[in-house]
Amino acid sequence: MNLATLAARNVLRNKLRSVLTVLGVAVAILAFVLLRTVIWSWTVAAEYAAKDRVATRHKITFINPLPLRYKSQIEQVPGVSEVTWATWFGAKHPTRDQEFFQSIAVDPKSFLSVYSEVIVPAEQREKWLGNRQGALVGESLAKQMGWKVGDRITLTGTIYPGDWQFDVDGIYTVKRSSLDKATLWMHWDYLNDSVSPRQKDQAGWYLSRIKNAGDAATVAKRIDALFDSQDQQTLSMDEHAMNASFLGMFSAILKAIDVVSVVILLIMMLILGNTIAMGVRERTNEYGMLRAVGFLPKHIGAFVLLEAVVVGLLGGILGLIFAYPVVEKGVGRFLEENMGAMFPYFHMDASVAALALLLSVALGFLAALVPAYRAMQLNVVDSLRRVG
Amino acid sequence: MLLMIPLSYNVRSLIARKGTTLASAFGIALVVFVLSSSLMLSGGIKKTMGNSGRPENAIVLRKGADSELASTIETRQVNLILAAPGVKKDEAGAPLGGGEVVVVIAVEKIGTAGQISNVQVRGVSDNVLKMRPEVKIIEGRFPKPGTDEVMLGKSVRGRYTGVDFNSSFDLKKNRAVQVVGIFEAGGSSFESEVWASIDTVRSSFGREGLVSSVTVRLESPAKYDAFSATVESDKQLGLESFRESAYYAKVSSGTSIFVSAIGIVITVFFSIGAMIGAAITMYAAVAQRRREIGTLQALGFTRGAVLTSMLIESMVLAAFGGVVGAVASLFMGFVKVSMMNFATWQEVTFSFDPDPAQIAVALLMGGVMGVLGGFFPALSASRTNPVIAMRA
Repeated sequence: MNLATLAARNVLRNKLRSVLTVLGVAVAILAFVLLRTVIWSWTVAAEYAAKDRVATRHKITFINPLPLRYKSQIEQVPGVSEVTWATWFGAKHPTRDQEFFQSIAVDPKSFLSVYSEVIVPAEQREKWLGNRQGALVGESLAKQMGWKVGDRITLTGTIYPGDWQFDVDGIYTVKRSSLDKATLWMHWDYLNDSVSPRQKDQAGWYLSRIKNAGDAATVAKRIDALFDSQDQQTLSMDEHAMNASFLGMFSAILKAIDVVSVVILLIMMLILGNTIAMGVRERTNEYGMLRAVGFLPKHIGAFVLLEAVVVGLLGGILGLIFAYPVVEKGVGRFLEENMGAMFPYFHMDASVAALALLLSVALGFLAALVPAYRAMQLNVVDSLRRVG
Repeated sequence: MLLMIPLSYNVRSLIARKGTTLASAFGIALVVFVLSSSLMLSGGIKKTMGNSGRPENAIVLRKGADSELASTIETRQVNLILAAPGVKKDEAGAPLGGGEVVVVIAVEKIGTAGQISNVQVRGVSDNVLKMRPEVKIIEGRFPKPGTDEVMLGKSVRGRYTGVDFNSSFDLKKNRAVQVVGIFEAGGSSFESEVWASIDTVRSSFGREGLVSSVTVRLESPAKYDAFSATVESDKQLGLESFRESAYYAKVSSGTSIFVSAIGIVITVFFSIGAMIGAAITMYAAVAQRRREIGTLQALGFTRGAVLTSMLIESMVLAAFGGVVGAVASLFMGFVKVSMMNFATWQEVTFSFDPDPAQIAVALLMGGVMGVLGGFFPALSASRTNPVIAMRA
């Protein structure tokens, strides 16, 4: 029997307490994984953003569009290979108006070319390209709303008033996570033909594919310089920067979740440390005995620390076992299907799981430092005399 | 009559085990703190947006628009709306109301590396103060009507680069506006806005001939139905009216529900953790005191009395933690959070708003955790066999 088995056996001494402690650690790890995944899935859009696309919007306000003639001018900018444009449509389901989703009017041909990550069956693609009232719908949005290819749907405009009819021509998925699967893409022509004269021939924003991903910042500067003397100045940035600035608007919530995920680890340490401290107190006699037969303080310290690490590890593993189905099947599925616009990808990332496991062991070790130190300081005679 | 074990026995037992008592109480304090804080923030969001709406005011938007930002109404319709029944008139007989133009501008947040935020700019009519008497200048002066002078809500100040008292910034290329005043508006979301003259905003943003919304002061809140019926009756106009308070409740509900939902989910996990912590402490407390408990029973205290006493001990522990957590959460009242309001796409500064009922809920939650965490240890204590326990 070596030190490690002795430490492991100690875990089984007070079974009820150990089970409760492992459970406590597991719940904390489950909560930690869930919270970190919220942050991860929110920021993943920014991480995965295409670095070879530059977005150009109105400099002062996103609610004002840019003239359509800017397109041919952007195409001339060195480093730009292709340009498409889009306008925020802002439709709502007529009855399920609490469920937010993105609806964007695009020029279908150049859109599919610039957004090369969009996967849509060839037949559906042709149909959408040829139908002005066609809509290309993201896989998770289609599931959320129960739409199928061939459906005729009516949506209510929030910015462009009235009822709008669409044919669901295609359902897309994506090759890379740089685009969500929860957007409805419609023909820009369909929108442009229906708006008042003053709203005609305008683009909400431009998206330029650039030849060299490393040049994004330079190309963005060139585009803005081009329109600096115009009445409608532009603000260009790569997609990563744009997504990051959008996330910045939620930074307060993200920070709060971040803080809370650390606090839950503190609670975990309290539970673990408390259990270990109780064990040490109860075993004072035993430690005296061990010392009397020749074990050194460092051995006693190692017993205590090892026990804590074992409990931490067990709790961490159990926590991950709980977390996996919750994140992947329960909460994740629900969020992707119902709030796909905000959480396009909700998965348990390996980095999050590894961090959780590492922390459960490390914090177990930390939590046991004080009790271990106390156990090491015990005086052999006193501890043998003490009635437990 | 059931003989009770004195409360002082429990309190002294808790004090005797200072370390574990504090650790468990701290766990419960954290639960109460988190629950109470998130309810306070959710309440703060409702209050900030809710303060913006007055019951005697009505707001008219284009039908289907879910916020002022998405709404456009032609200027020639404004007079039809102002002529509707129920609209209050001033001494000169002019209707109290007017169109407003609402836009957002991109500004850089101070303390970030080029982080861009959306601040709402409201172009208001000259008589706006008659409809919103809560607006008061706290520094500088009101902008002169018909000029490119603006005033800032007090929450905007100091948050964005170039947007400050006595400075100027662009609403349009080469059309700078001068900040001549800072205003407060009773803690409402207007304090997170920039107010300019309606013509300035209109011409800067190419909104000639349009307004975003029309706000009117009613003769009394009861006149709303008549007003609304007239405004919405003409389907050609395509207008929709709201009581102002209902409109602001509507645009704040998404964010406020979101914050409470996150808070409640976190609380559920925290409370399971804290309950387990309390149970471990109470089990240890019972195990260490087998002999004492046996003695108590030998003295004639019934099992029920032991059970009750142990439960009370657990509740005292939880109550202590709960009070600490609730008091700590009150300090969040000094913290301000600046975040985006989903429905209006604008950045608004919210505060944590303490509400006695919500703090009571959080405290109750702490007490429930004490009872649940302490129940099984207490049951185990009550099943002590006095003879065996005293011999040990």
